[in-house]
Amino acid sequence: MKLLTRTSRYYLFVSLVVFIITGIIFYHLLLHIFYRQLDETLQDEKVLVEQTINYSDSVPDFRLVFGHLIDVTILNNLQKKTEHFKDTLLYDSEEGKFLSYRHLFVENTSFRQKGYTINIYKPLRETEKLVTEIVIAISLIFISLILVLVFVNYFIAQRSWIPFYRTLHNLNIYDINQEKPLVLIPTNTHEFELLNQALEKMSTKIRQDFLNLKEFNENAAHELQTPLAIIKSKMDLLIQDERLTEEQLRLISSINDATTRMSKLNQGLLLISKIENQQFAGTESVNLAEIIDKTVGQFEEMIDHKQITITRDISSSVNLHINRVLAEILVTNLVSNAIRHNIPCGSIHIFLDSKSFVITNTGLTLDIDPEGLFERFRKSGSRGDSIGLGLSIVRKIADLYQMEVTYQYTAGNHTLKIIF
Amino acid sequence: MKVLLIEDEKELALSILAYLQKESYLCEAAYTFREASEKIDLYKYDCILVDINLPDGSGLNVIRELKAKKSETGIIIISAKNSLDDKVDGLGIGADDYLTKPFHLSELNARIKSVIRRRSFGGVNEIVFNEIRIQPDKMEVFVNDQAIILTKKEYDLLIFFLSNKDRVVTKESIAEHLWGDDMDLADSFDFIYTHIKNLRKKIMDKGGEDYIRTIYGMGYKFSRT
Repeated sequence: MKLLTRTSRYYLFVSLVVFIITGIIFYHLLLHIFYRQLDETLQDEKVLVEQTINYSDSVPDFRLVFGHLIDVTILNNLQKKTEHFKDTLLYDSEEGKFLSYRHLFVENTSFRQKGYTINIYKPLRETEKLVTEIVIAISLIFISLILVLVFVNYFIAQRSWIPFYRTLHNLNIYDINQEKPLVLIPTNTHEFELLNQALEKMSTKIRQDFLNLKEFNENAAHELQTPLAIIKSKMDLLIQDERLTEEQLRLISSINDATTRMSKLNQGLLLISKIENQQFAGTESVNLAEIIDKTVGQFEEMIDHKQITITRDISSSVNLHINRVLAEILVTNLVSNAIRHNIPCGSIHIFLDSKSFVITNTGLTLDIDPEGLFERFRKSGSRGDSIGLGLSIVRKIADLYQMEVTYQYTAGNHTLKIIF
Repeated sequence: MKVLLIEDEKELALSILAYLQKESYLCEAAYTFREASEKIDLYKYDCILVDINLPDGSGLNVIRELKAKKSETGIIIISAKNSLDDKVDGLGIGADDYLTKPFHLSELNARIKSVIRRRSFGGVNEIVFNEIRIQPDKMEVFVNDQAIILTKKEYDLLIFFLSNKDRVVTKESIAEHLWGDDMDLADSFDFIYTHIKNLRKKIMDKGGEDYIRTIYGMGYKFSRT
């Protein structure tokens, strides 16, 4: 849920609760006020009625005077005077239904040694109507006020959060590999400016570390080339010696194997750091089908040797706008991988269309986590002679051109898919 | 044959010189750009091996100087920079070949011979070794004057052996020479063995001698004895 929706929702909810509670209180307060008013009027009328009876010593028709029901009864025996208000329903013959009245009931009031009972009824209909109308009017004002406030709040918040979303967007599209450091658009909201500053500072540090590491990798790999070249050349000279014994040759052979391995590793690392540093800049329209044909041709002997069957479903019109050398490395790594990790008399299927390049090969189940397949130096334990960089190079090349690489293993088949 | 090696890494230069001295070359070395510049000004070489990264200049400029003089010298770039740009630049301004460090001396030797062969117009463009005669321009091989049919790999292998005759060549260097860097080494050793067996058989079928000796654990040696 968006922060804005969340706050608006709480805001609305609390307002509603407050509105309902205060509404109820307000209604009762209003009703109370009106009743008191009514009761005072009834009281005044009672005084008038009492005075009239007292003066005239008779009971005139009060209805003509006050316009509403006043009922006076003469009592025979006097008791203690009581006086109270109540709500009463009376049948109205004109309207043909019961209507509610405020009723002042005075019992045993006495004038000139005569007892009376006075009932004064005042219709409540008007009062109730008035109260309801006031409550409705006030409610409408209140609700529109809440709605306006919520919307205004929403729009103000939305505007205020713009710098935040802009920062978020910039962070999302930021690639640490790119040339320039992270630059965020300045804002005059203090908190967001602080956030931007913190992010810029952090990203500068991360980027610096990243560049240092990259540079170190590249330099290390590069500097290793020379000593490796020297070792290799000295080895080439050493083995020319006729006097070497078989035991010495065996030792030299081991050193040679290790050196070759190290040299290949180093070349792989150099290649990765070159791809990362975007040193393969030139792109051209590359026909992938041609490269696949050429690559499979190069591996023909190995394919025959392992008695692997190759099937192809290749669209010859797929042209990618990428660097030719990288395209060749990509295909070579995938094909050699499919051969290397195949089983004797296995099969390889190569599929290519405008959307994807898929290479499927038979093989034993992975003894490593497929998640880590594209990481450097992740290799199957049974293959000591592979250097474990092939797929990580594939991933690097794919990343460079925003292609997606996926791996799947189903029923003895490894599938590597590159989605353009 | 005069060969000039321009390489600032002394140890590597010494190895190359030691290896090439066994050929009938007159080998000289220059360790800086200035030295190299002086030498190519004063003398004429059949082949120049040049490193791109020199302490006081770029090897590419040595090539430009040579080309400016319309020199016929064969040029091989040896560079640690396995960068495509260098390769394209180097070959673009007229280098004949490009070799990336680290390389096998046997590979370098084969490349030098190939460059020199290509450069010697009308000269002895034939490789002759006892009863074996090769015409590289036509890719034809004769044993006791009878043509033998070799596959591309067998032919390449024979040329490689002959370029490095009387030397031990490692299995790795053969594998890299025949298949390039991409090949899985362990697997390719089997193929090398097969190719050697076939090559040996084809030569011996025409009355040729068996010149290929196996050097325990290391590789092979093509020699008279």
